[in-house]
Amino acid sequence: MSDAGLRARDLVIGYETPLTQPLNFEVGPGEILVVVGESGCGKSTLLSTLAGVTLPLRGEIYSGDRCLNDVPIHKRNIGLVFQDPLLFPHLSVIDNIGYSLRASGQSRDEARARSQELLDWVGLGNIVNQKTWELSGGQAGRVALARAIAAKPAVLLLDEPYSALDSPTRMRLLADVKNLVGLEKIPTIHVTHDHGEAQLLATRTLTW
Amino acid sequence: MGNGDEPLSGTLASHLPRSLKRLWVIPAVLLLVFLVYPLIRLTATAWTADTVNALLASTLWQVVLLASVQAMLSVGLSLLIGIPIARVLFTYQFLGRGFILALVTIPFVLPTVVVALGFRSLFGDLIPNGLLLVVIAHAYINIAVVVRLVGAQWSTLDRRMEVTAATLGAGPMRIFSTITLPALRNSIVLASAVVFIFSFSSLGIVVVLGDGSGTRTLEQVLLRSTSVLLDFPTALAAAILQLIVVGLVFVISARVSRHEPRTKIILERARVRGPQAAFVVTATCLVAVTLVLAPIASIFWASISSSGGLTTGWWSGLSDFDNARIGSPLEALGRSVGLALFTSVIAAILGGAIAIAVMSRKAIVATLALIPLGVSAVTLGLGILLAFSRGSLDLRGTGALIPITHALIAVPIVVAMATPSLRTVDPRRYFVALSLGAGPLRAWWTAFGTVFSGVMLAAGGLAAAVSLGEFGAATLLSRTDSPTVPVQIARLLSKPGESAFATAAVLSVILVVMTMSLLLVVDRIASRRVFT
Amino acid sequence: MFRFIAVIMSGAIALTACSSSTDSNSGVQSAPDLNTVRMITHESFVLSPSFVEDLLEQGIDLEITSTGDAGTLTASAILAAGQPTADLLFGIDNTLALRATDENVFEAYTSPELASALPQFIQDTQGGLLTPIDFGDVCINIDDTWFAQEGTSVPANLEQLPEVANLLVVQDPATSSPGLAFLLATVARFGDEWPSYWEALRDGGVAVAGSWTDAYYTQFTPSGGDRPLVVSYATSPAAEIVFAEDASVSEPSTSVLPDSCYRQVEYAGVLAGAENSAGAQAVIDAMLSRKVQEDIPLNMFVYPVRADATLPEVFSDFTPVIANSTSLPPAQVSEQLASLLDTWGTVMNR
Repeated sequence: MSDAGLRARDLVIGYETPLTQPLNFEVGPGEILVVVGESGCGKSTLLSTLAGVTLPLRGEIYSGDRCLNDVPIHKRNIGLVFQDPLLFPHLSVIDNIGYSLRASGQSRDEARARSQELLDWVGLGNIVNQKTWELSGGQAGRVALARAIAAKPAVLLLDEPYSALDSPTRMRLLADVKNLVGLEKIPTIHVTHDHGEAQLLATRTLTW
Repeated sequence: MGNGDEPLSGTLASHLPRSLKRLWVIPAVLLLVFLVYPLIRLTATAWTADTVNALLASTLWQVVLLASVQAMLSVGLSLLIGIPIARVLFTYQFLGRGFILALVTIPFVLPTVVVALGFRSLFGDLIPNGLLLVVIAHAYINIAVVVRLVGAQWSTLDRRMEVTAATLGAGPMRIFSTITLPALRNSIVLASAVVFIFSFSSLGIVVVLGDGSGTRTLEQVLLRSTSVLLDFPTALAAAILQLIVVGLVFVISARVSRHEPRTKIILERARVRGPQAAFVVTATCLVAVTLVLAPIASIFWASISSSGGLTTGWWSGLSDFDNARIGSPLEALGRSVGLALFTSVIAAILGGAIAIAVMSRKAIVATLALIPLGVSAVTLGLGILLAFSRGSLDLRGTGALIPITHALIAVPIVVAMATPSLRTVDPRRYFVALSLGAGPLRAWWTAFGTVFSGVMLAAGGLAAAVSLGEFGAATLLSRTDSPTVPVQIARLLSKPGESAFATAAVLSVILVVMTMSLLLVVDRIASRRVFT
Repeated sequence: MFRFIAVIMSGAIALTACSSSTDSNSGVQSAPDLNTVRMITHESFVLSPSFVEDLLEQGIDLEITSTGDAGTLTASAILAAGQPTADLLFGIDNTLALRATDENVFEAYTSPELASALPQFIQDTQGGLLTPIDFGDVCINIDDTWFAQEGTSVPANLEQLPEVANLLVVQDPATSSPGLAFLLATVARFGDEWPSYWEALRDGGVAVAGSWTDAYYTQFTPSGGDRPLVVSYATSPAAEIVFAEDASVSEPSTSVLPDSCYRQVEYAGVLAGAENSAGAQAVIDAMLSRKVQEDIPLNMFVYPVRADATLPEVFSDFTPVIANSTSLPPAQVSEQLASLLDTWGTVMNR
């Protein structure tokens, strides 16, 4: 399944001026590439370039054989989790998770059924209709993760996720992430400044 | 409003410095004295058994129905024009942004006589008087309400929310309808309520651009009953009915608004990157500028043309315009500016105190402050006249009645602008400051001061602009020998003769320029404070 | 915080200070002394500054406040009847006068100066309660230039108007005072048949504007509109010259259709319960003095009631007093106004 991974070829990122040397890397299904570096060095820019928010200065991004450079964000089939869970406040927990399924045209009932499975899987089966801002930080983090992988993305991008949480909760969540991407065989890129975290998760590391 | 999402902010109200918690007394007393008392006084004087009959008569209810339809159409069109402009102005940073923001606010503060005449000369041959023309004019006037209220919330939206939705497969339209619009819901509801009320109680526009029964408003019935028929029962019934409708609109809008957690982040506005964004920004700005300037341009044209061709005579003749007859335009300008500054100070203090009152859970004050939106200038003016023109209560000679009335009229806008911005401040800052040994007042100022003073400046500036253009109350309360600029414009426009009309046009253009400069300065100061 | 409050407070104080210094004759007084006379009037009231200055020399400090249009002014006086907001009122007209006198708004006063008025005004006092000060006419105005260019014949009387109704713009009588006066003119002429006259105007394509300003400044041909006939004032042609761009304009391009005119009289009255009725009486006397009466035409574009007042040249040349102007008895107006407006609205579909 190596054709299902994410590949960067001579990728130069930045706004107007380059932030990096040309980057070349590849992530396969179930792999976790951890990018480690100090804050401000362009890690987040890398993710936003891969996601399509920022245009690359040079180089190409491939998902399998498909060049993503000209593909708009919403057609790239990516899961993205920021530092904050960023749950949609006007939607219930279950509709947050089902958002991508609804966007791809599934019916409300289909989306809810799949979302319920994911909620159960992350151990939150009983909070279906809670207001998103009533969740604890750990709960919100799990919901955000479930939402990001609900539509089986071709790649999962994690931008210092859960960094606002206390260390034990964060570690538990990251362990969940590792299990999940292994199970679902989702290529994953994880950005952090924490070397310990990198060691815990990484199948491969890229250091700046 | 203002319920806490985390335990600390829930207790903020009970920990506020006592002096601040008592600050709500100032607006409450002022509103009772200058708003509630005059209205009660007027009602008591004019009330008879016939008022009840008039209230039950079907004629007034027909007006309510028709005016509601008209107001809803006006809301729809204002949102349709205002939301795209709000998006461009409050999510992008570009050269000329402040200028355009000030520009779109102009129609809101121009005297309606001037707007109406601009529209007549612009569309007179294209669109006949009637519902369509009235709705377009209302949308024109209210662009600023939508742009400023919705824009303020838009600038606090976390843009990463939309990015997240995009990665989940939602296209631009879907993101807008499922993420952005719901997130803007409260400000859209509030803006809709305000536009509805302004359109529902419109007078100058429906008189000049309407077609009688099809576009009649309660305000028009009220004017006709007061000043033509002297039918006070009907006038009072119309005033009461209008107040009830306005009250209902606010109750409904409060119901429809969603409780939301405190907004946490104010993001920097994005630079315009890429050809697509550049196109959207340029196109929207061009449309906005054209829309706003077209009627104003026709006024400017009138100020430089005469029967003998183009002329600068009206402008150069301003200082020695036959002042024995109309009063000196330059003096009126000075007077209007003085009143506007005075108004802005009163409105900022009132609005600030109300915003603080809302933080300490005295929401009733905020509700009281909204009453002026539903009270016609004529009603308020007559009430104030009855209440404050005899014996020791005669305030007319002091010159304070106009700024106080203008401040009352501006306060709802001030409050609508101020409260959401204060909610962007993390209340924990207050406790941090307290724990570092600051006294309660200093701690409060440390936490909220920057945003608060920025908001007050912006609000005061907007109030000053409202005062510069206000006509209805000023015409009831101003001394004959000291008219404000809008009163003078109206006086000039009621006289035949080229120079009267052209001088009115010159004054209108000056009013536009003064209001623009004021808004530019104030917006700049305010955005520095709020966005850093 | 304190600094912020201090800045605002000092700003407020400074502003109060300068605002009270700008209008010098408006001292803050808790109770008006005998010299202070307060007058309420409508927003169109204008006289030369010498009016107030001369009164001051007589020891009277006249404070003038305007309260909306003539109707709103009358309404405010009726609402405050018995506890007036001023000492005298100027600007109530013959359309509304009866309503106010019925509500005991005024106290009787007959000025000795009234003896010098034109004969038809000496008894025009609503039973001694009001003093006529000036009068004017609302008439159809004609753009003579347009008619000369088109070679069309100018209508000579009201009866001919329906034939050229598509050249005429009138105002809604419910929102405009000249509009109401023109409606009353047709009622005075055609009696109970007036609705069919208006039906003829309507079928002929008459335009209805919401306000005088709109009718005169956007729909009347000299202002760039497409209607060469407009309901306006008898003195508009004179005003056209006075307010012309330059002094070289010596003849107005518009004239008046005398047959269409409706007479409006403006009165002053001492308000019942006035704190200073002696002062109010003195002000009324002053308004009837020859000097003030001669000052009235060029300021308010109406005619003085005083018989020996000389009209300015521009008036005597171009807008002499209309001789055969009509008016309705005040009692009839007061009784029928509401139903007249309702019927008019039905006829005109407004």
